Amino acid sequence: MHGSTSASGAPAEGTADRGHRWGQLHRVAPLLLLVLGVVAVIGSRRLGLGELTAPGPGLWPFIVSLLLTGTAVALLVLDPAEDYEPWTRGTLRIIAGLVSLGVFILLFQAFGFVVSAFLMLVLWLRVFGGESWRWTLGLAAGGTAVMYLLFVELLGVPFPDGLVDAVIGG
Amino acid sequence: MESWDGILQGFSVALTPTNLLYVFLGVLIGTVIGVLPGLGPTATIALLLPITYTVEPVTAVILLAGIYYGSMYGGTITSVLLRLPGEAASVVTTFDGYQMARQGRAGPALGIAAVGSYIGGTVSVIGMILLAPPLAQLAVSFGPPEYVALTVLGILLVTYLGTGSVLKSMCMAALGLLLATIGLDPITGTARFTFGEVALFNGLDFVAVAMGLFGVGEILHSLERTDKVQAVTSKIKGIWPTKKDFRDSSGAIGRGSLLGFAIGVLPGGGGVVSSLASYAMEKRRAKDPSRFGKGAIEGVAGPETANNASSTSAFIPLLTLGIPPNVVLALIFGALLVNDITPGPQLIEQEPEIFWGVIASMVIGNLMLLALNIPLVGFFVQMLRVRAGILAAFALLVTMAGVFSVNNNVFDMWVVLGFGVIGWLMKKTGFEPGPLVLAFVLGSILERAFRQSMLLSGGSFDIFVTRPISGGMFAFMALIIIVSAITSRRRKAVFGRVDPADVDETDETAPDADRQVAAEGSPGAESTTGSAPAPDGPSGSTSTTTPGER
Repeated sequence: MHGSTSASGAPAEGTADRGHRWGQLHRVAPLLLLVLGVVAVIGSRRLGLGELTAPGPGLWPFIVSLLLTGTAVALLVLDPAEDYEPWTRGTLRIIAGLVSLGVFILLFQAFGFVVSAFLMLVLWLRVFGGESWRWTLGLAAGGTAVMYLLFVELLGVPFPDGLVDAVIGG
Repeated sequence: MESWDGILQGFSVALTPTNLLYVFLGVLIGTVIGVLPGLGPTATIALLLPITYTVEPVTAVILLAGIYYGSMYGGTITSVLLRLPGEAASVVTTFDGYQMARQGRAGPALGIAAVGSYIGGTVSVIGMILLAPPLAQLAVSFGPPEYVALTVLGILLVTYLGTGSVLKSMCMAALGLLLATIGLDPITGTARFTFGEVALFNGLDFVAVAMGLFGVGEILHSLERTDKVQAVTSKIKGIWPTKKDFRDSSGAIGRGSLLGFAIGVLPGGGGVVSSLASYAMEKRRAKDPSRFGKGAIEGVAGPETANNASSTSAFIPLLTLGIPPNVVLALIFGALLVNDITPGPQLIEQEPEIFWGVIASMVIGNLMLLALNIPLVGFFVQMLRVRAGILAAFALLVTMAGVFSVNNNVFDMWVVLGFGVIGWLMKKTGFEPGPLVLAFVLGSILERAFRQSMLLSGGSFDIFVTRPISGGMFAFMALIIIVSAITSRRRKAVFGRVDPADVDETDETAPDADRQVAAEGSPGAESTTGSAPAPDGPSGSTSTTTPGER
């Protein structure tokens, strides 16, 4: 695999410790799937398997989770490590991005669409997109307005009531 | 004669102003996202799924189909000009297309790709008109055991024909089947794996799952990559290929049409496989194979024709058997399901306007693409200036607002986020989301058919083997497993060959062809920093590229 690695992440991502990192990753994914499979097997047994002639609600999930467990066990042993991508500094950005999405959903519930959309666009354009402040604020304001018109006015989506609605409505 | 009436009916549907508008929007969006390397057809269709709730089912499918085959055209442009495949099926085009561009023949390369795609698409539509009705008639007699066989075959072939590890794909298919069981049991009404959450009683929302895995997952994944794209400065001229170009590539276009059509019909087929197969075929047939990789026009014409032909014929199994042969079609299948339409053998009879309307729209859409592509290539190239960060921010916001609008429920937003995390982690760890989503879509059909079969047979598994059609299909599956076990080493070699031997080592912006192909249906996610320098970006402008790393 060749490609480009961002300079900011280069020192930490040297070739030296890559094998080590892969070694850890290598087991975690199939292990998680295995745990999930076993939990599902137990859960579906509890639902009631019934008979093949009269399948209960748990029979099909049971078969499927056995398949999941089986393939996960096989992966623990046979998993080819080549297709794992190394973690980079960019990974931190992604985790930050995920957290920001979670915060967005909470803000969306609390304050409605306009405020949360504007803040999210500002964050993503400025921090993750690396735009200048001028572009960021312009795009975020314009984008929020267009989206609001599109979803609320045109499609009539009932977003939760927010600050702006309170102002406009009041 | 019946087909003729059908086609007429189809055009009467497809030519209504609304549907004309949507087919145009579809091919336009398809071309644009084919050009933009950050978003592929799978992600785009996933992001646009909420739209399907607001329009007629036939209009929705017309739009989504247009995006799919439109992206096959658009992906060509960046492959040829920048050696950046906008979507996975265009990887092969980079081999000879980019070389042609370096020799100043970018115009003819794009021209022949557009013409070939048009011919391939049209041949496929004709094949579909001829093949689909009899196939549907055959399938009407299918009982539950046949459906079990058919769905299992579909899932199996997707796991086998995908480009990653078969074992991992199977594991993901199992996970998809398990996720499909969440919700109320369709027969007894027992709540399964809902953990008391009322929002889960109807199961996980397909739209939210697909948007999370493909949309959010892909955007997140692209955040991590910081590749740059150089600007296209040279004017593209002489798009219309010369007589000699046509003569040289007519054979490749003809073979590509038929090959693409055949591969598209098979479950697991689709753009990537067909374009690879066509390239391999042309290279093997050539009198002087060494020309390939150095700007042979057949190497552009064949694969481009094939990928468009296959993306059209892939609709045959969906519309006649109710089996989506690849991930994009699985999304379209889902879009129909949410509109309470189950694609299957009865579709032609019960919803003829959908079946024929979609076919007719493809004829129109392909014409539009030809008309759009030849004069507007320069315009589409300018799209590359849109910076990836802007694209990502807006795509995410549209995703979140869109998924909320489906059920007006915040819970679905969390589902999207959750599956976004899963989708990104899967990409990092080499698990393909394709088999998961396909299995998730087919899961409830498979379960129902399985339980009905058990009731029919009195609990005996013999029923799957003794009935000729399902028995035949299971025999075929056994054959696939045995053959692929024997030839697994050769399989690797085939895909290894995709890595172009003649990659120009000095070109630092070379995309990772290997990785591109590995992401079937969810093409590479290079960030395009565009030609304008990002002054204070944390990424991009300051990156030192280290080819050979990773």
